[in-house]
Amino acid sequence: MNPEPVHTDIAVVGAGPAGLSAAVAAAVAGASVTVIDAYSQPGGQYFRQPNPAVDPDPQEPRPRAGRELRHKAEAAGVRFLNRTVVWGAFEDLRLAAYREDTAQAIELQADAIILAPGTYERVAAFPGWTLPGVITTGAAQTLLKEQRLLPGQRIILAGTGPLQLVTAAALVKAGAQVVAVLEGASPGEAILRQPGQTLAAVWGQSTRLKEGWQSWRTLKKAGVPYHRGWGIIAAEGKDSLQAVRIARLDRQWRPIPGTERRLEADTLCLNYGFTPATELAQLFGVQLHWRPAQGGFVPRRDEQMQTNVPGLFIVGDGAGVGGAELAMVEGQIAGLAAARQVLGDSTLTRRIEALQPALRREQRFQQFYARLFTPGPGLDELAAGDTPICRCEGVSKATIVQTIHAGADTMHAVKAVTRCGMGNCQGRVCGPLVAAILAQETGQSPERVGQFRARTPIFPVPLTAFTVLTTEGAESAESRN
Amino acid sequence: MRIEANTRRGQPVTIYVDGTPVQAYTGETVAPALLASGRRAWRVTPWGEPRGLFCGIGICFDCTATVNGVPYVRTCQTPVAEGMVIETERPLERDQ
Repeated sequence: MNPEPVHTDIAVVGAGPAGLSAAVAAAVAGASVTVIDAYSQPGGQYFRQPNPAVDPDPQEPRPRAGRELRHKAEAAGVRFLNRTVVWGAFEDLRLAAYREDTAQAIELQADAIILAPGTYERVAAFPGWTLPGVITTGAAQTLLKEQRLLPGQRIILAGTGPLQLVTAAALVKAGAQVVAVLEGASPGEAILRQPGQTLAAVWGQSTRLKEGWQSWRTLKKAGVPYHRGWGIIAAEGKDSLQAVRIARLDRQWRPIPGTERRLEADTLCLNYGFTPATELAQLFGVQLHWRPAQGGFVPRRDEQMQTNVPGLFIVGDGAGVGGAELAMVEGQIAGLAAARQVLGDSTLTRRIEALQPALRREQRFQQFYARLFTPGPGLDELAAGDTPICRCEGVSKATIVQTIHAGADTMHAVKAVTRCGMGNCQGRVCGPLVAAILAQETGQSPERVGQFRARTPIFPVPLTAFTVLTTEGAESAESRN
Repeated sequence: MRIEANTRRGQPVTIYVDGTPVQAYTGETVAPALLASGRRAWRVTPWGEPRGLFCGIGICFDCTATVNGVPYVRTCQTPVAEGMVIETERPLERDQ
């Protein structure tokens, strides 16, 4: 039991590029800062660190950069709560959290909160997608970078975006047999159609271009086929993945009849982009708006990354997918703006303004990038009637479609009737899939369909996690709206 | 399978999966240790589907197992320890 909430000037939720940058900026400006993060080491997915038991001082550029940022934060006095999940948000900028390794319930009260929750990978539902061996590309990255393990013997990557390319190259370098990389989009066409915009967007992006080019060369050298305009249509296997069926896709990402092929593989890595994690924003009553180019519903923010809730800032991919560089600029701006608010230090204004050119440059790149790698509607049509859409509760596409035709025409109604989204993942995996089916079956726009509404607790925690809550003012911020 | 080149491992430890000893190393989490032992699935859903690792970042809850008596533990987020007891989840045990 811990009856007094812990106070901190600024609480940062998430220790990826955005959260770490925000924490450093705010702490250097003089604020007391606490960073809460679900993982055992700060860094998030982008700066993921190798297993610290064996490699405490990584030399690879990304983990190294993340480690340096963390050291800066520690030197500035930032306090880290690792392996801690935030499960509730309450009025007066209070957060309820649970530390998993010590089974400790935590309540934190802050004068400003910076959310940097990141994203969830977007996947696709097709026949066989729940077979063991079908994983996300993020899972492959974690195995490779943190655990130094190959996810399988014969690996196929399917989806869209440069993460697939970079991951495939990293797998090859680690000794894996990569059978093929399937890129659903045809990014070359967009670049050739709009050479001027391409040049404007990639200006100043030499690190990104170099990484992409090196990955490409690694795949070429290893003879790994990189198929643009191809995608998965089904996975096959008895107890685990044995083969995938692939096809050439048209511009709408619909399989072109007669192009189907079968490839043997024991591992399939999926990534079709990212969905911002908006659960905490929802609990706080933040206004969201529909921005498909940024991954879906994202918070409305002012130029300092502050939301309609005073003192609540949101940064990084969780505020709109834009990559690590944009996330770090946004984090710095929010860290300085929150510190200015909390400390009343107006001298920070100049430093916030100085970051605006970098912000614009990264935003330009984000807009360009989104045009190249956005899945078409055919992706949402791959599931068969008996394909599970909700992995947790085993709800099939046919059940969802029947429920919609019986009159359940909102996300909430589909969830209430079918239990889709009520399992342990709380709709994080199936949410975008259900939304797409609902939009398709009812003719509503994705904006009107919306998303599953976040409910406290937003993450499964043991009942002992609730013992910390003081009864006074324990009403959820969301329930007042 | 574990990558050998340019990789150091922690201390060897033994974990027990449904009573069978499995070699792992300190600093590893449970799911990779199970994959390295050749297992692809360590859970069966109530409707009979085998499941193992999926998202790898603690979000999807597909890779859960009973660890040292605690049910529904995410194996991708749980570090191994000497003598850890893993019980795979089966529908008969939890739903009937």
